[in-house]
Amino acid sequence: MSESRLALILQGRRRPWSESFAAWVRTRSLANSWGAIALVAGVAAMLGLQQVIEPGTQRLLATVFMFVALAQAWNIIGGFTGYASFGQVAFLGIGAYTTAVLMNNYRVSFWLAMPAAIVVGVLFAVLIGVPLLRLRGHYFAIATLGFAEGSREVIYNLTPVTGGGLGITIPTFGDQAPTPYFGKPGFYIAFLLVAALAVAVSALLARSRFGYAMVAVHEDEAAAGAVGINTTAVKVIAFGVSAAIVACAGAFYAFQQIEFYPENVFDSSFTVLMVIMVVIGGSGSILGPLAGAVGLELLAQYLRINFGTLNQLIFGAIIVIVVVFFPQGVVNFVRDAWRTRRFSVLDNVRRYRL
Amino acid sequence: MSQLLQAAAYGVVQGGLLALVAVGFSLVWGVMNVINLSHGALAVTGAYIAWELNQRFGLDPFLAVPVVAVALFVAGYAIQRGLINLVINAPIFLTLLLTFGLSLVILNGLQLLFTADDRTIDTAYASQSFAIDTVNIPYGRLAACVLAVVITVGLAAIMTRTRLGRAISATGMDRGAARLMGIRARHVYAVTFGISAALAGVAGTMIATVGSFNPTTTPGQLTLDAFVISVLGGLGNTYGALVGGFVLGIAESVGGLLLTGTWVNAIAMAVLIVVLLIRPSGLIGKAQYSGRVEV
Repeated sequence: MSESRLALILQGRRRPWSESFAAWVRTRSLANSWGAIALVAGVAAMLGLQQVIEPGTQRLLATVFMFVALAQAWNIIGGFTGYASFGQVAFLGIGAYTTAVLMNNYRVSFWLAMPAAIVVGVLFAVLIGVPLLRLRGHYFAIATLGFAEGSREVIYNLTPVTGGGLGITIPTFGDQAPTPYFGKPGFYIAFLLVAALAVAVSALLARSRFGYAMVAVHEDEAAAGAVGINTTAVKVIAFGVSAAIVACAGAFYAFQQIEFYPENVFDSSFTVLMVIMVVIGGSGSILGPLAGAVGLELLAQYLRINFGTLNQLIFGAIIVIVVVFFPQGVVNFVRDAWRTRRFSVLDNVRRYRL
Repeated sequence: MSQLLQAAAYGVVQGGLLALVAVGFSLVWGVMNVINLSHGALAVTGAYIAWELNQRFGLDPFLAVPVVAVALFVAGYAIQRGLINLVINAPIFLTLLLTFGLSLVILNGLQLLFTADDRTIDTAYASQSFAIDTVNIPYGRLAACVLAVVITVGLAAIMTRTRLGRAISATGMDRGAARLMGIRARHVYAVTFGISAALAGVAGTMIATVGSFNPTTTPGQLTLDAFVISVLGGLGNTYGALVGGFVLGIAESVGGLLLTGTWVNAIAMAVLIVVLLIRPSGLIGKAQYSGRVEV
């Protein structure tokens, strides 16, 4: 290490971007790129799978991909930063409505409306995040829930712009359509890319200086502040990144649905599902939310198709069982069990028992 | 003016009912730091028990209250002892998820047993009302409101004057120290949850008497109301739920008069966010509970 660089580090200054990037490229090897390779391989495999499955199955898997993105987004604020938001669905709704209003009222192309939705989502996240992120624990959870319910009411009552309770329709056919409809295969690819992007953003964040700052805020916010982390900035940025991913998914969801109502895109069960997927998969990791989203959404679909009226009951029972036996999440349990060679599930139950 | 008075009077009796829903929820949250998302489900369970007793034996809902309370106390004790105690030390989302899963099981079970139809317990007096000047007050709601106040005062007396109540408070303040003093925390937690479930059941019975209920939309609304009221009133004080319930009841009913459209639905949330930002410990809660960090 050269003397000037050591001096820079001792003074707490960052290396210039060009130097960091060069160092990053130099240190790439097969051993530390397996995550990126797995991601590319996964996307390629899913694109290959698309060739052999029916449109109906493609639609089902598109929903799975959307939940992968949503779960990764929730994990950034809820898992890494430790702020359990129960209002992330607000950004889905805001993203969906921004897209629909732009496309329907102003005939804007989807490819402009979608980035606009992300920008609006982030703006709201910053606006609401600065005051609300002062709260902690349950109080933060319920305040964000209040934000989500409140924004639904605002959309509901802004009838001239949003159509209110009558819903809103995105024009998709003929000369009226600003962007031609993607169809089932198109949305399969679109949601796959959104999911891959969410996983990549999450993974890059987790390894970065910012990622460690998020975990530090999670572990002990006062201590994080004491070592020089701007905790407010970290929390608000994490909230904003999470909101950006959710709003992006919301934009695609709106276009896929064509016609929807405030209660569809502000449905709090989206938030609940995000939380369940992350926590059951394993929060604070990349693989956890991914596995949780894929596993639970496929399970839910399977139960819906095969068990009819019993499906919710079974789903609830499975949640209870998994929470009791794998309180730290399935992926985290397997990883720790592998490392420590202790595979007893009963020992695991004793972890958090009174 | 008389409209406003009528709205305020309705708000007060409705507030009493809301307080009854919230008092058990607030107790569990304060003592165990558990947000019980199955609270609404337990209330609806109580409503179904009272409804069934009324259908089969013609039992008056107010006489069914003790039966419902005992049944739900037992159920609540078992739930806490057998399930929630297993993850009580885990991060907050786990108890949230556990109680969410539990409410799914309870509600879908109820739906299979009783279908999703709206039900109500018919009594001769529920729809009757008396007038003071121009203000109409329904008997059923007034009785429910009085019962809520009596129960809250009774609970406050239990919490401050009996050994059990003090054990519950002590465990809520510092579990480790309480256990060193010989308090059986597992048992105390289970009793606390049992009391909360019993109160939820009583509240559900009252709701079934003065209005209607179903297993799909009622429980979520009740849980959300309980949540808002607990925050509004503040934790660590039994009367918090009562104060919060009255404030929310009056705010919603007067707001419903003054506002157009569905803005009234946003009142609870607006009130909530303002309270959280200005006075996180609630109107009469103890500050130590809002400063408590859950890890």
